[in-house]
Amino acid sequence: MSTKEHKSKGVDIQRRKILTGATGVVGAAGATFLAVPFVSSWQPSEKAKAAGAPVDVDVSQLQPGQMLTVSWRGKPVWVVRRTADMLGRLPGLDAQLRDPASQESIQPTYCQNPSRAINSEYLVVVGICTHLGCAPLYRPAIGSPDVGADWQGGFFCPCHGSRFDLAGRVFQSVPAPTNLEIPPHHYLSEHLIRIGEDPQKEGVA
Amino acid sequence: MSNKHSADQAPEQKKGSLLGWLDRRYPIVSTWNEHVGEYYAPKNFNFWYFFGSLALLVLVNQFITGIWLTMSYKPSAAEAFNSIEYIMRDVEWGWLIRYMHSTGASAFFIVIYLHMLRGLLYGSYKEPRELVWLLGMFLFLVLMAEAFMGYLLPWGQMSYWGAQVIISLFGAIPVVGPDLALWVRGDFVISDATLNRFFALHVIALPLVLLILVFMHIVALHKVGSNNPDGVEIKKYKNEAGLPIDGIPFHPYYSVKDSMGAVFFMVLFAFVVFYWPEGGGYFIEPPNFEPADPLKTPAHIAPVWYFTPFYAILRAVPDKFLGVVAMGGAIAVLFAMPWLDRCKVKSIRYRGTSYKVLLTIFVVSFVVLGYLGTQPATPELTKAAQIFTALYFAFFFLLPFTSVNEKTKPVPERVQ
Amino acid sequence: MKKLVWIFSLFLALPVVAHAAGGPSIELEPAENNLRDQDSLKRGAILFSNYCMACHSLKYMRYNRIARDVGWSNDEIIDKMAYNLNNVVDNVETRMLPGVAMEVLGVEPPDLSLMARLRGTDYIYTFLRGYYQDEQGKWDNHALAGTSMPNVLEGIQRHASSEDYAQAARDIANFMEYVGEPAKLQRTDLGWKVIAFLLVLLLLTYILKKEYWRDIKH
Repeated sequence: MSTKEHKSKGVDIQRRKILTGATGVVGAAGATFLAVPFVSSWQPSEKAKAAGAPVDVDVSQLQPGQMLTVSWRGKPVWVVRRTADMLGRLPGLDAQLRDPASQESIQPTYCQNPSRAINSEYLVVVGICTHLGCAPLYRPAIGSPDVGADWQGGFFCPCHGSRFDLAGRVFQSVPAPTNLEIPPHHYLSEHLIRIGEDPQKEGVA
Repeated sequence: MSNKHSADQAPEQKKGSLLGWLDRRYPIVSTWNEHVGEYYAPKNFNFWYFFGSLALLVLVNQFITGIWLTMSYKPSAAEAFNSIEYIMRDVEWGWLIRYMHSTGASAFFIVIYLHMLRGLLYGSYKEPRELVWLLGMFLFLVLMAEAFMGYLLPWGQMSYWGAQVIISLFGAIPVVGPDLALWVRGDFVISDATLNRFFALHVIALPLVLLILVFMHIVALHKVGSNNPDGVEIKKYKNEAGLPIDGIPFHPYYSVKDSMGAVFFMVLFAFVVFYWPEGGGYFIEPPNFEPADPLKTPAHIAPVWYFTPFYAILRAVPDKFLGVVAMGGAIAVLFAMPWLDRCKVKSIRYRGTSYKVLLTIFVVSFVVLGYLGTQPATPELTKAAQIFTALYFAFFFLLPFTSVNEKTKPVPERVQ
Repeated sequence: MKKLVWIFSLFLALPVVAHAAGGPSIELEPAENNLRDQDSLKRGAILFSNYCMACHSLKYMRYNRIARDVGWSNDEIIDKMAYNLNNVVDNVETRMLPGVAMEVLGVEPPDLSLMARLRGTDYIYTFLRGYYQDEQGKWDNHALAGTSMPNVLEGIQRHASSEDYAQAARDIANFMEYVGEPAKLQRTDLGWKVIAFLLVLLLLTYILKKEYWRDIKH
């Protein structure tokens, strides 16, 4: 039926358009509300979040130069107790690194510093190579045989040869693109580190 | 001059557009016209004509909520019950998706029973719509199987024991019974094997069958055209354009009306989901809040409410096998409606008193049997069930005789 | 139309039937608890951990969920309910080692997460207050004859006032109702908003229908 015929029978096309439009808008809003539970249900469940809950690590028995590994969210997290010597060697490596100031890499804001830590004595880092996900090896000794005579200590990934220093920073000319990830963490006490949770608002450490 | 909706209502616009491109390669516009835009339905549809589109709405609800539940549900005897509580507590909005699914299951049967009753009221099963009715009856069978299998999945006490009782009915069939029951269960008792296969059937096999049958049901309906509360064939009187003068295009008239009906249904549905999800113990049954225990039988086993009319018929017959036959017969006899009812007049509005009486007795019997099916089988209640079973079947046995010489009223030529 | 009235009245009879169908065998005292009373829920949680957790678990409930719903911090709940023995994301397990209850009581104490949905809040309230001693001095319960469970609230029953005793049972029953369905308040709070929205949409679709159907002459 043409518009003229409609009008002659008293059909107000405008009114119909407005009503249809209004109903359509409210209906679309309803459909959006309805979608929320379905989309949200894909978020990690309480069970997944529980499995991914923070892990507390006691480092009181950790010797200088020693590394321990814990599992957090299915990932290995290393805690390395660095000596003053190890820390002293870090600035000298800046020229060989891809991202010495950690501007591209993933770490909490409170770890965007030269030692990439809250307390520089302990490095807390995710033990997954940023290239393709292998687990790098801990090679703290200077001149470690499988890494080379110039080696100043750090991590070496056997899969494709990526190297990281003792702050987890990646070297140039290796496959890995960024520094190792630092997870959120904070100190519950001098020797108790909670991995997986940022510090409370009251203080950074 | 009621309406001049003509074939050019939806002209093939925008030939250079996306729609044109698609339509040259896929019959979009013609399909739309044939089944929606220019499907002429009688203009006098009443309340009873909402339930078809509502059934489709509930089906979509069951599909979507069901798929989402499958994302978290674990179909093993060890984990099923736990996974439901996981959905109810640990999954974000899991409780809402679960309640929408459980409410939808009961809503499906309310809608379908009313949809079928419409058929009985207005003779929608009569020539030329016998196939629409038969496909609908097959849909009913598949829906019952789908609901039965779905009910085992929570693996509660009622899930387990209800399935145990029903599957043991297969065992009552002579000669093949016990082997058949063993084959269905995949084990000597209902077990993990049974649960896993019921899950596969419930989640994919039967839904596919339902989809195909729904498609065929609608195609069969559209081939012959819809019936209406007056039971007159609108195709009898057409205008110059060849369109039924008592017909209106489904779109926009029934799309708009069915949308309104759908929203009203959603209000009732939302009320149950948010304020009455257990349905007084009928939609989610209390014994199912306990995990299945093969060593402990609940005091009172009953199937879910929508099966109770047939369950009452089963229990009314003293012999186990004959009870199964009676129960099956109660459903099978519905298939025969187009041939049992020999009255030429379709709609109850113009039929004789005998049909009105018989149908009333049938509906009352169905509801009373439904109630009796929820109760323990005491001698008095069993006697009552026997009486109402007789009345239920009376509708089908008497109809061939009473319908031949019914004192019908004059059927109008046009819809009222 | 008459047929409609008939059928509707049959459906209205359903709630009556629903009540008749699920009737318990003994007279239940109404718990008269209030799920929105967070103080009651807190007391109930502590009572549960003191009197019930020795044998019963709430394996579907996590401490952090209870804390959030009842108004405690994560640290508070671990202190008050878990004696600092659990992580806040843990499920509420019983302290009893497996097998001990079977030896001592002859039965495995059931997990109580869903008891309120299985038997009802009033049942729990009646059960807790339903203990009595028979002529031989042996404890039994009006709500569950022959129960193996001891009268855990006996101390409160003897030494506290009858109102305090009733309140303790009420608080536990309240907590159990909450544990049965933690999302219940969220559900009822959201429900009327959804229905109000749908009523608005219903009005719109109704007006739209009326507008289009003006075309149809009857």
